[in-house]
Order: sequence, then C-alpha cells, then structure tokens
Amino acid sequence: MMPTHSRSPPAMLGNIGIGWRHPHYQALLERKPVLDFLEVHSENFFGAGGAALAVLREGRAHYPISLHGVGLALGSAVGLDEWHLDQLARLVADIAPVRVSDHACFARGTIQQASQSTSVHGSDLLPIPFNQESLNVMAANVQRVQDRLKRPIAVENLSAYLTFAGSDMPEPDFLNQLAQRTGCQLLVDVNNIYVNALNDALNDPMNRLTRQPLQQCTAWLDAIDPAHVAEIHLAGHIDCGDIVIDDHGSRIKPPVWTLYEHATRCFGAVPTLIEWDTDIPALDVLLEEAAQARQICMSNVQQDTLCTA
Amino acid sequence: MHSLAAQQSALLQTLFAKPGTLQTENTIHFIANKAINTPSRGINKAKNRGLQVYQANAEVLALRSLQASYPVVNQLIGDDAFALLAHDLWHHSPPTRGDVAQWGGGLAALISRIPQLADEAYLPDVAHIEWALHQAATATDAAADLTSLALLTQHDPGGVTLQLAPGSTVLHSAYPAASVVMAHLYASPTFDEVGLKLRAQTPESALVWRQGLRPMVAACPQADALFVHSLLQGGSLIAALEAATADTDVPDSAFDFNVWLPQAAHNGLLLGARLL
Repeated sequence: MMPTHSRSPPAMLGNIGIGWRHPHYQALLERKPVLDFLEVHSENFFGAGGAALAVLREGRAHYPISLHGVGLALGSAVGLDEWHLDQLARLVADIAPVRVSDHACFARGTIQQASQSTSVHGSDLLPIPFNQESLNVMAANVQRVQDRLKRPIAVENLSAYLTFAGSDMPEPDFLNQLAQRTGCQLLVDVNNIYVNALNDALNDPMNRLTRQPLQQCTAWLDAIDPAHVAEIHLAGHIDCGDIVIDDHGSRIKPPVWTLYEHATRCFGAVPTLIEWDTDIPALDVLLEEAAQARQICMSNVQQDTLCTA
Repeated sequence: MHSLAAQQSALLQTLFAKPGTLQTENTIHFIANKAINTPSRGINKAKNRGLQVYQANAEVLALRSLQASYPVVNQLIGDDAFALLAHDLWHHSPPTRGDVAQWGGGLAALISRIPQLADEAYLPDVAHIEWALHQAATATDAAADLTSLALLTQHDPGGVTLQLAPGSTVLHSAYPAASVVMAHLYASPTFDEVGLKLRAQTPESALVWRQGLRPMVAACPQADALFVHSLLQGGSLIAALEAATADTDVPDSAFDFNVWLPQAAHNGLLLGARLL
C-alpha cells in the first residue's frame, strides 16, 4: 500500500527540499518543517531491514522522498552492477519515491592487482569524456536502469576535477542527447556548473572565455533543453586557492544564488534541493537556505507555472 | 585514440595504486590538455591536483566508512594506526560495490597479516564480531511471534525448529573477544575484568543478534553457541539440543533448554518456532 502524506503545514509556493542526513533524522521527524520533499542517498538504505530503513519509511509517511544515488556509475564502460540495480529496485518499490536520480559519471572498471584483473568500484563520481562513445555507454546503462525500475530517472551533471582526452561535445549537448535518446530527465546541479567554471579559470587563466565564470555558467544553463529538467541542486563549495572543491559543506555562495535565479527563469519552478553533506550544521541553517531558494523561485516564476512534486 | 574502458581503467588503477607505485603518468596521458595557454609544467600540475582531489576523497571515505563499522578496533589501536589500516585495506582490497558500507569485511584478515599487531592476537576476532554487528544492523526485519512456541508442546522436537532474530550468528574465539567488544560498547564487563580474561587467555563464544532494530553482542557459553549454530544451519530442535550436549570436552556443556528459552525470548534472540 502506498504511504499517504500527513504533512500538516500549509502548502507553499515553490517546490523546495533538503538533503535529509543522519544528524537530522530525529529533529526533522519531531519538527516536521514545511518542505516539499526530502532527498536521501539511495545507497544509505540498501540494507534489507534495520533502523535506517525504518527511519526512511517514517519520513516517507510525512514527505515525498527523492532517491538520489551516488553509486550506479552510469557512465562505466564495463556496465552496471546487477547487485546495485537489485538493491535500488527493491528500495524504489518500498519507498515509492517522487524522483530517482544518479550522476553522469563512472566508477566501475577493472584494475590489475598482483597480475590479476580485479573488478572495482571507485566510490566516487569520476568524470566521463563527452563524446559519442561515452554517450552510447551512458544511454545503454540509463535505459537498462529505466527498464528495470519501469520509470524515468534523472541524471545529474558533475563537478569534475579532471577532463578526459577525447571530449568533443559540450556537456549540455551531451546531456540533452542523453535525455532525447533515453527519455531520462536531467538534474541540474548549479553549484557544480559554477565549480567547474572556476576551475576552468584557474587552469586556463589566459583564456578569455574561462575568465568569466558566471557568463560561462549562464551559457551552459541556456543550452539545456528545459523540457528535460526535473530537479535543481544547490550546495556550497570551498575555494582552496589552487582548486575549487564541491564539498557540500557550507552555505550556498552568492554567485550560485545568482545562477539559480537564472536557472528558474530558464526552467521554471522545478523541484530544488539544498544539499549539505559535510560539516552538517543545525537543521535551521538548511531551512534558512531552503527559504531563500523558495523566495528566489517565487519571485522569478509566475505562479501558474509552478509545478508540484 | 584510446577506448573509454581503457581510459576508465587507467584512472581507477591510479586511484587505487599505493603511494610510491603511482601510475600517474599513464593516467595523465588520458587527461585532456585543456589549458592550452598554460606551460606544460602547469598542465601536469593541474592534472596532478585533480588526481589529488579524488585520492584525498578516497582516503577520507575509507577512514569514515571503516570507523563506522569498527569503532572498537579504532579505539583499541588509536586513530593514527586505524587510519593506516583503512589506507592499506582500501588499496589492497578495493570496494567492489557502489555502496561503500559493503566494503571493509576484509579488515580482520588484514590485521592478522600485520606483524606490528601480532601481540594483540585477539584483534582479528574483535574485528570479526564488529563486522557481524555491522551486517546485523541491516539484516532483513522479522517480527516475533512467541505464540508459535506452542508448537514445541504440540509436535515432536525433530519436526520443529526455532526462528532467531535478524543477523544472528555465533563466533568462537580463543580469546575473550566478545568481552572486549562489550566492555567498549556497554561498559560491562569492566576493563579490569577484561584485562584479567585477556591475561588468562580465556576463550569465548560471541553471540550476535538484533534486538528489535539494535545490533547486540554477548559472550555466551560454548554449548549455547553450538545450540544456536545448529539452529542457524536449519537444524531441528532435537538436532540443536544434541549439538549443544554432544561434546563432552566442552567445559560448560551443561546446556539447559528450560533456562535458555525464556532468556532468549526476553532479549529478543528468539522470535518463535516453526514446523520443518
């Protein structure tokens, strides 16, 4: 039986959620703040039973859940892990999430250890080249997931600290083509776009294009087909001087809010997530960020275009 | 032109290579020269910095994941030594699943191969117990149905078995490994009591199960462990009773089912009975 939502607070305009992490499990269930959805990392609930899954089911009784994966490794040339797909399918059947998503990355492959070929998972969101071969791999893997889950998934753009040789198409074109070929949705991480632009500027300071990160990012957003966008992610990043890292460990930076305004004009009031995964602060801090996102969303989008989870 | 699979393998090979055996040059070959206006020395510097981000993230993830699974081993050997263990395990036995919580089961075997830890011979068994607790935490839920115990009075014990809690398992150690874990998790027994057992090299059996949603460990008599092990193998009640009392060399073989049953029902180990 599908869980019903007993969310008591009045519905508000916009469609804003937060990442629900362990430090806030209890506080959120006690306070039940006004949010349109909660996002959790799918892999944290892959166990067949136990306390974590029980908490998620309780949260599901009050909020729609967006299942966001970090381990499918959709861009892996060796293909998907059947075990992972089995766990995800079971969780999706259990939780009936409002959205299911993962990343445009790879992590699975083989390495040589003691003269033997070993299958490994990199446990990270490793970058893929943007070319036809990579697109074919991604499309086949995304299609396989969707066939198994019997629903579309959303695929998120990465913050990447390396770029493979052989990329010959812009990232937005790659993602648009992926969505067109598979029917998948796109999850646009605005912070990731900005982090990549800042690192491009650091790596290539003489290039006129990379010297203007904000313009580079708005052009990226403009190139995405709005019809495919299902969710937006916002998060903090850290500038280490020689590199900028998407660490999800601080408040959203002003330029990223500026880009979010642009994104809402491009895509409408698509569901928007506040992500915070390291140095997790008090729940109220996340709720403040969520309130700011809601305000921007409401001021940039006509009420009749607002969508619901 | 290199295939996508080759590119991806090269990056993974570099990320899992132990420092000092880096294959960075091979991987850098696959990485784009985006910064066309940057001197070549700067290009390699940027590439290496990118690799460092992924390598540093892996180190943090490995340590955090292992700390979650092995809090007692961490306390026993200290943060610095534990970080070295996490580093070694990551590079020797990389994750194979996209759920990093599945990684780390090889820690006990790694500890047993490290000469510097040979004096702490009980450590691998402590690690085995902690891994069993980690697995019990996410085992399939099961509800108790103690009314089904009426089957014990209605049927021959050869045709009945007992249903135990999710994650139940027994481990035997030549050391008081269960007491070591319990002292850290529950403060009972005391560290003084555990010290005495360690000096006496008292062997112990550990019983791991889930009490509701909470993973539990207890030291138990070996006869109890043999009884539970037989049940976990799918044996009948009579087979389990025979297993518990068969070994006359076991010093604590006086297994009393009438004592065990109410205790097991009370602590959540026993969920019910079913016909075979």
